[in-house]
Parts: sequence; C-alpha cells; structure tokens
Amino acid sequence: MNFLAPFALVLAVAAAVPLVLHLLRRRTGEKVDFPAIRYLLRAEREHSRQLKLRNLLLMLLRVFAVLALALAAARPVGRFAGGSHAPTAIALVLDNSLSTSVVINGAPVLARLKDAARGAIARANTSDRLWLVTADSRVVGGSASAVRAALDRTEPLAGAGDMHAAVAKAAQLVRGGGFPSRQLAILTDGQASSWTGVVPLDGVATTVFAPALAPPRNRSVVSALAEPPHWTPRGAVRATTTATDSVTFRVALGARAAARGIVAPGEDIVVRLAPQDRGWLSGAVELEPDELRADDVRWFAVHIGAAPGVNADASAGTFARTAIDALAQEGRVSHGTDISVAGAESAKKPGVFFAPNDQVQLGAANRALERAGIPWKFGAARNGPSPVSGAGLSGVSAIRWYALEPRGAQEPGSADTLARVGTEPWAVAGDGYVLVASPLSVEGTDLPMRASWVPWLGEQIADHLSGDAGAITMAAPGSTVARPAWARELEEPDGTRRPVLESRPAAPSRAGVYFWLRGTQRAGALVVNPEVAESDLTRLPIGQLQSRFTGAEVAATDNAARWTASAFSFSGRRALEGAFVWLALLLLASEAFVTRAVAPKAE
Amino acid sequence: MADKNSRADLMDPVSIAALGRIEIIARWVVEGFLTGLHKSPRKGFSVEFAEHRPYQPGDDLRFLDWKVVARADKWLIKQFEEETNLKATIVLDVSKSMAWSGTPGGLTKLAYAEQVAAAVSWLLLRQRDGVGLIRFDDQIRTAIAPRGRSVQWRKIIMALEDPGSGKGSDASGALIQAAQLVTRPGMVIVISDLLVDEEEMKAAVAVLRGVGHDVTVLHIIDPAERDLSIAKTETELVDTESTASVNVMLTEVREAYRETMQVVISEWRDRMASCGASYEPVFTDQPFGTALRRAFASRQHLP
Repeated sequence: MNFLAPFALVLAVAAAVPLVLHLLRRRTGEKVDFPAIRYLLRAEREHSRQLKLRNLLLMLLRVFAVLALALAAARPVGRFAGGSHAPTAIALVLDNSLSTSVVINGAPVLARLKDAARGAIARANTSDRLWLVTADSRVVGGSASAVRAALDRTEPLAGAGDMHAAVAKAAQLVRGGGFPSRQLAILTDGQASSWTGVVPLDGVATTVFAPALAPPRNRSVVSALAEPPHWTPRGAVRATTTATDSVTFRVALGARAAARGIVAPGEDIVVRLAPQDRGWLSGAVELEPDELRADDVRWFAVHIGAAPGVNADASAGTFARTAIDALAQEGRVSHGTDISVAGAESAKKPGVFFAPNDQVQLGAANRALERAGIPWKFGAARNGPSPVSGAGLSGVSAIRWYALEPRGAQEPGSADTLARVGTEPWAVAGDGYVLVASPLSVEGTDLPMRASWVPWLGEQIADHLSGDAGAITMAAPGSTVARPAWARELEEPDGTRRPVLESRPAAPSRAGVYFWLRGTQRAGALVVNPEVAESDLTRLPIGQLQSRFTGAEVAATDNAARWTASAFSFSGRRALEGAFVWLALLLLASEAFVTRAVAPKAE
Repeated sequence: MADKNSRADLMDPVSIAALGRIEIIARWVVEGFLTGLHKSPRKGFSVEFAEHRPYQPGDDLRFLDWKVVARADKWLIKQFEEETNLKATIVLDVSKSMAWSGTPGGLTKLAYAEQVAAAVSWLLLRQRDGVGLIRFDDQIRTAIAPRGRSVQWRKIIMALEDPGSGKGSDASGALIQAAQLVTRPGMVIVISDLLVDEEEMKAAVAVLRGVGHDVTVLHIIDPAERDLSIAKTETELVDTESTASVNVMLTEVREAYRETMQVVISEWRDRMASCGASYEPVFTDQPFGTALRRAFASRQHLP
C-alpha cells in the first residue's frame, strides 16, 4: 500500500489524544457540586469491571477512528482484486508516422492503433491524468474526453516523426504528474526504422502495442531532383524509385503534367525538359498509388530562367570561345554580355575568370579582382601536373596554377570551393563569380581538352551566374531548417504566405514545395519530403521491439485486447481512502452506540 | 376527575412555588388535596375507630353500629380516638446537601421539602391535630413541640423561612430529639435526602418505633440525583458536604449510577420496613400533592 499524500500521516498523532485522555483518567473536567457523590463512587466501585471494559472499548474505537481518518487523509492506494485502479499518470504515445498510414486488410494501421488507444482511454477514471503524445512530440493532456477528442483528430504525419523523442517527452510528463502510479502506453506499427537503438524509459513502466500485420510490398520515390537546379531553360528531372516491378510514373512541373512513362526496376527516371515557364516552380514525381500513398510522390523545386548572354573575352583564349559557341548551339546560353568568360586581368562580375597566361599580368589580375569585388587573389605559382578533384572534373590535371588566397576575412559560406589540387583550392565560386587558379591554356590545365569541359562550364554558368542566387533547402517534415538570412516569409503550396522569424524554424509538417520570399518575389525553395527510411515498412518482431526499451518494466504485445486490458495493469492498485473513511464512520458509529448505551434513557 | 390545572397539589412544583409565600402555597396544596379526597368515605385522618361499648340512653345514634345491631341484635356504640390525640412531628433535614438543585432555576431539595412540610403541617392543623417541627443539620436548628393551636402555624412557617445551615446531617440525633419532644406515641415524618449514615438512621428510627411512634420517611431526591442527568460530558463532581471529589465521564457511568440508585432506594425501603417505618422516595419534579399523599399513604391507605 502506498500513499499519495503521506504527509497527512502525521494526523495519526491525533490518535494519541484519546489514548492520553484515557490514561490520564480525564483530569480536564470542570468542577460541579453533586450531593450524591457517595452513590456515584459506589456505582463505579460496583461496576468497575464493566466500566473499564467500556472505557477500553471506547478508547480503542476512538483511537482506531482517528487512525482510519489519518490513513484516509494520506490517500492510500493498494492492489486489490477487482475494483478500480489507483490514480495514474498515463501517457499514450501514438505512432502516427507516415508508415502508419499504410492500408492493410482494408484499414490503415493508424486506425487500429487509435481503436486500441480508445479502449485504454475508456478504462481511465476521473482521478487519472492522461496525455496523448504523437510521433511529432505534440502533447494533448487533460480529461479522458479531451484526450479522446485529440485522438480522433490525429492524422498521419507526412514524415517519420521521432518516436524516441516522443517517448522521452511522455516519460517526462508522467514523471512530473505527481502520481506514484505512472505508465507509458505506446502504440506503434513497430517499423524497424522508427525503433533503432535503445529507448530509455527512466523507470516508467511501459506497455507496447504493435499489431501483427504483415506489411505490403511498397513502392516509393526515394529521390527527385532537378538537374541542374537552375534551368536555362533546359534541364532534367532525375528520380529514383524502390519499385520492384515496372510502374507508371508522372512528372509534374508547376500545375502541369510534364511527362509520363513507365520505369523498370532498378532504373532511374530521367526526363529532360525545356519548359516555357520562368522563375521558381514546384515539381513532383508520382508513381501509381499503392497501399502507402504518402511516399508515392516526391517533390522537387527548380528555378527556370532564360538562356543567359555570355561573352567569351579574348583574354580567356580560344577554348572559351569555342565552348560558349557549343553551349549557344545547345540553347543553354546565348551570345551576349550578361556574363563574361575572361582572364582574371579583365574580371568584371558576373563571370568565369581564369588565371592570366603571363605571370607578368598577375598583379594586374589581382587588382582587377579587387576592383570587381572578388575576395580572392592569386598567390605563389605552382607547377604540376597535379590531379584536380571536384565535381565534374574527373581526370582533369592542373599543370600550372597560382595559390588562391582569400582577401580579408570572408563570411562563412560566402564562397564555395568547387575543386582542389591537393588541399589547396583550385576553383572557387561566390556571388557572381567563378575563379579558376590555372590559365585556360594547355600550359595551365588539360581541362579544355577534356570532354567534361563544356558541360562543366555550362553548369558553372547555370549554377552560379544565371539568374537567382537563391538556394534550395531539402528537409523532412517537422525537422529544423536554416532560414536564409534574407528570407522573412514562406509561401505555402496553396499560395498563402506566413512570416518566418526564427533563424532555424521547423519545416512544415506536410510534404510539398514551399518558397522563401525576398520581398514579394520567390527567391529560394524549401522542399519537404518524407524520410526515405519511412518507406521501408520492415517490422521488428514483437520480442525485438520489447528489447528496445530499457530502464523499466515493459510488456509488449500484438494483441489489442490484451494491451487494452494492461493499460492500467501497472497501477492496478485502487484508491483506498473511501474504504478508510467508511471504516472511520463505522468506528465512530460504534463509538456513538456504545456511548449511547451508557447514556440516560428517555423517561 | 379534578382538573389538573386547577388543583395546586397537582401542579408543577416549580411553577406553583413561584406564585407566593410558603404558607399560601401550602394552603393551596392542601385545599386541592382535600378536594381530591372529597368522595372518600372517611371524614378525617385522625378520626380512627377505637372500640365498641354498650349503648346507653342519651348516646348519639349517629355512632350506633347498625351493622352489629342488624347482625347480632346488640346495641353497640362505636368509639373513636379523640380528634386532638394525634401529635405529629416533622423532622426536616436542612443540611447543605438539601440546598441543591440539578436544574438551573429549579427547586432545591430543601425548598421542596419545606413546601411539603408546610403542607403537611397545615393539613394536620386544619384537622386540629398537633404538629411540631424539628430542623436539623449537624445539630438541631429548630425544635417546635407539637401543638394544635392556631399560633402553631405561624411558628412553623417562621421556622421554615430560616435559611439552612450549610453543614452536614445528623439525622439520628434529630430523631432522638423528636422522640424526646413527643412524650406519647404519635406520628413522625422525616423529610430528608438521606445522605446520612444508614445504620445510625436505622437505629434512630428503631428507637422511635420502640416508643410507639408511626414513622414515615420521605426520601427527597432531585431528578439529577436519580439519573445523573448533569448537562456535562466530562466533569469533576464535588461532594457538597465534604471535600470528596471524583473525575468522571458522565456518559460512561450514567447507566451504572442509575442502577445503583435503584438499589439504594430499594435498600432504604427494606431498611425502614425492617424497623416498621414506612419509606417513600419523593422526587422534586413531582407535584406537592404526590408527596403529601405519600406522607400519609401507609397510615390512611389513601386512594
């Protein structure tokens, strides 16, 4: 037997009062004249045995009545067969991750979990404290009816959530509930990816329900990207699926379907597009629906701009001119003056700049870079050949180059290192520039002789020099993202805008493409897609699932009725204060009866 | 049947005692009492049949015993005790224990006893019997020899209006004194709460009986003494005539006390009966008429 208010046990000291009065033989009375005292003494003398027994009985009845009241005030709870349970702080941890929306045997797994949760809530009484904690760690607490209403409103998340965090949150809630009886009641689909590693329970007894339902074969789009992310205006959509058989797909761009097709197992979806739209657009790659609909579509964002006008300056040499001609023929660039490809001594943003061929021009080049606001300068000369490492530069060697030295203190993230020679940067990019440490000549690098030269140049122009400088942020639902410094609002898929003031806000809970706004213009995208692992419906066996939880008594079952019955099993003790109050009343009634038995009878 | 509200002998003693002086109240009580006896065939309490004697010319034919004449053809005259033959002495306990009432504002035992004594006196004097009064506590406070004269009433009333002494009781001494005051056999009415030594009291009564007195003991008991009905739960009770005290939880001993009181009354009744005296417990919440009736119940077989 435990006590919810053990401090009230000090009231039991009051039981000493009748005891002391009995032992002191009532020396607190007021004096009253009484002539027939001789008869009173005689009565006491002749009835002493009977009176002593009655006094003892009365004293015991009073002592036990006080003790019973003190025990009742201490709110005892004890384990007895039948009856209600003790007041319990119980948190229902409901796994409403994306995977629970899978339909098995005609009903979503989440519906089964909610049914079981309703059964547990029905067993709660008014003295219990309940919370509902979902996979995104959202908490609803209060009465059983409030929690039941919250349960009815619960929808599947667009992502995995974090069941570990939800359990930790729930354990914290029940520990802080002020009840000695605490319990976590976890309802989950038992997805292996949700229960990686050990889940500490910190002493809170736990029951786990994971229905024994064989997961169906699931198809999902695990990646969808625009290549490059800035189309000018040509580009491609590349997507990967987990389909184990041929499946139809659809690529949407903006509000229109851009492509349809069939993808075979193991193949990527690659769709090349040259849309008429301009600006930031959302896109999606969709598969035909299966039992888990939420991962059959994956979102991407793309920025589409007109082909930029590029001028190949004479200082860059003939390789640059022929490359621009080739890109212009493909329609990826046009001849113009928007962007220049030149030697650094002629640097003027935006443009792609190479080290000067003649070392004599190195000083002029550094001055030109400084004038153009490019925070780099050329340093000591280096001679190779040495291999260049960087995206799209496989097999390229640097023969002669200059050390690229940052000029002054650069803000973190203001420049990207595109390629390196050893540990030194060889090609860097920043706001409106791409700077290469070697001259664009056969003495400087073999890059212009490589097949990768023209595509690399085109990608640098598209990625760093064409149009918008905004970024695309990829995030899972509810995860924390970094807000671009210039963004103050976020445009939702339905077009509504909401302010975003936190520097690291939580990503929206629904999948889709959201746009960062600079002023009133779209200047970047936040693409929210479910975690890839959430599409893997592999379940943990119930034994393994139970073994994931440590630090407290755990009972895991795949039987809903058994789990519901065990919802308060760890607190099967019931409140006993009522019984003690009744006992005290019974004792007091007995005391009154015994007292009345010696009181004068009505004439 | 007489109306209870119009007869002073049947009224609540507290109510009627508040109406006037003691002699007035005594007369009201006696008048009411006699009204209640109106249908009795007997004409007086001291008019008692003594013997027959042969009829002689000139005798009053009212006293001829016609039943004997009819049955035996003998002419006999009924002879009675002379009316002033009765000499009654009232022995009144005025000790401190008598000056107590268990009810706030209620009649003390002494006030009640004085009223009863006055009523008895008036009743006897009204019949031209002699009445005397002895008031006692630890000694004799008042001793008035029995007389049938009219001034006797005033003497008794004045004596009754003296306050009590506030001391203990010496009933046996008072009774011996009463025996000395009444030289020929008469009637002795003891009015006391009997918080006295029982054996001495019994011995004194035996002495009175030995010299031929009819002895009636009226045991005055307050209802609170009978029931221990004191409006307290836990108290220290102190004897009014000594320093004895006892701490008691009244609710616990009340029943035992009541049983003891029944035994005490029964013992007094047996004790007095063994001496040939009559004993009547009188409770101070009873009408004075009841006490008056009990004072003569054994002697006159009143209805």
